[in-house]
Amino acid sequence: MSGIKRHIAAAVITLMTAAFSCGAIPQKPVPQRLVNDYAGLFSTMQKYALEAALVEFDDSTSNQIAVITVPDLEGMAPSDYATRIGLDWKVGSSDFNNGIVVLVKPKTDDSKGEVAISVGYGLEGAIPDVYCKRIIDNEMIPAFRENDYYTGVKNACEVLMKLASGEISEPREKDAEDAFEFIGGIITVVIFIVIILFIFGRGNGNNSGGNGHRRQKDGPSVADAILLGSLLNGGKSGGFGKGPFGGGSSGGGFGGFGGGSFGGGGASGSW
Amino acid sequence: MKKGLVIFIIIAAVVLGIFIWTKNAYNGLVRSDEQVSAAWSQVENVYQRRADLIPNLVATVKGYASHEQETLEGVISARSKATQITVDPANLSESEIARFQEAQGELGSALGRLLMITENYPDLKANQNFRDLQAQLEGTENRIATERMKYNETAKSYNTMVRSFPKNIIASIFNFEPKGYFKASEGAQNAPKVEF
Repeated sequence: MSGIKRHIAAAVITLMTAAFSCGAIPQKPVPQRLVNDYAGLFSTMQKYALEAALVEFDDSTSNQIAVITVPDLEGMAPSDYATRIGLDWKVGSSDFNNGIVVLVKPKTDDSKGEVAISVGYGLEGAIPDVYCKRIIDNEMIPAFRENDYYTGVKNACEVLMKLASGEISEPREKDAEDAFEFIGGIITVVIFIVIILFIFGRGNGNNSGGNGHRRQKDGPSVADAILLGSLLNGGKSGGFGKGPFGGGSSGGGFGGFGGGSFGGGGASGSW
Repeated sequence: MKKGLVIFIIIAAVVLGIFIWTKNAYNGLVRSDEQVSAAWSQVENVYQRRADLIPNLVATVKGYASHEQETLEGVISARSKATQITVDPANLSESEIARFQEAQGELGSALGRLLMITENYPDLKANQNFRDLQAQLEGTENRIATERMKYNETAKSYNTMVRSFPKNIIASIFNFEPKGYFKASEGAQNAPKVEF
């Protein structure tokens, strides 16, 4: 009797896994984006704000946090679902495997709310399972209980960003920025040499008074040092470096998922 | 004389063609075989990770539920049995994997029973150390599921290569055996479900 039952159960489970493997997971969005609110939990403004913050984080550190909300988990465990999304969409870069998937299934009248955070291989050290669990318990579920999904997700993303950027922080436009810094450096050196020549040239010209020699040389060098300092500063923030308003987020939209892989790390919770 | 040369060239071209094809097929099989071995070692890694968590978990539970001796010992003995069984990546046959899976499945159900009795101890459930261990255990179970799935996918593409014509000729000459799969089984059903 129990043998038959067991066989039936095994058959059902096999069928179920077969059904799951053929695409219960939403397809990778086109155009690609980091915030995918399939359950409609966020307002348009909230969606943009969250997307902008996550895109900027991706630009500045290359860590990708994808937020997905779904109305139904299709019978899968939330962590499985989140890991599957991470694997199918390839969240994170292939060099670092630094993707994170934040999955939220809202509470409805007849089902409990579920949430999962799945962490890519490369970030498992920076964000251990226990941390994920605490983020879920302390940042997300209390807000979700109040029906404030945005605050919960936003706070969770903030903590995840802090943890992830401690481990991997590779700006996206690294090559371009390096080139800028290199050119900026050359120009600074050239300016420096010109100023030095200028000072020495003037010093030599005024050299006729024997006693004044020392004083004369010290006098202009202090003033020139200030000038030089300000020039150097000006050179750095004015033309060549990344000014405060030239930040990455103005660069535009999300560049796309990068080929990261997941091993099932992370945690889940329900309320 | 001229005819002989033509025949020689044709034979040489055919031999060269066969050689190149064999080499590519063989190297493809080797590469795929290596991928399966790598996927398998990941599977063993995550199972080992679970085994490493158990002593800590048992010690924590013991502090609160010392008279559940039978269940605790069940976990310990299932763990030592499971860690004894390892599979040589060179011999990932159906029966070897089934043996491995059975031992790990028993450990899984012993753990499930242990977590079940912890429901009766509110103090234990409130213990931060225990909660952390539960989170780690949950993450490890997810990792096991993920790595098993990845192994099955890698083994599937290898097996397709080994079994499909004409590569199966090369595979049988050089003894490339088909690999076994993980099956959804009792172990999967009884995997400890961690909930609050």
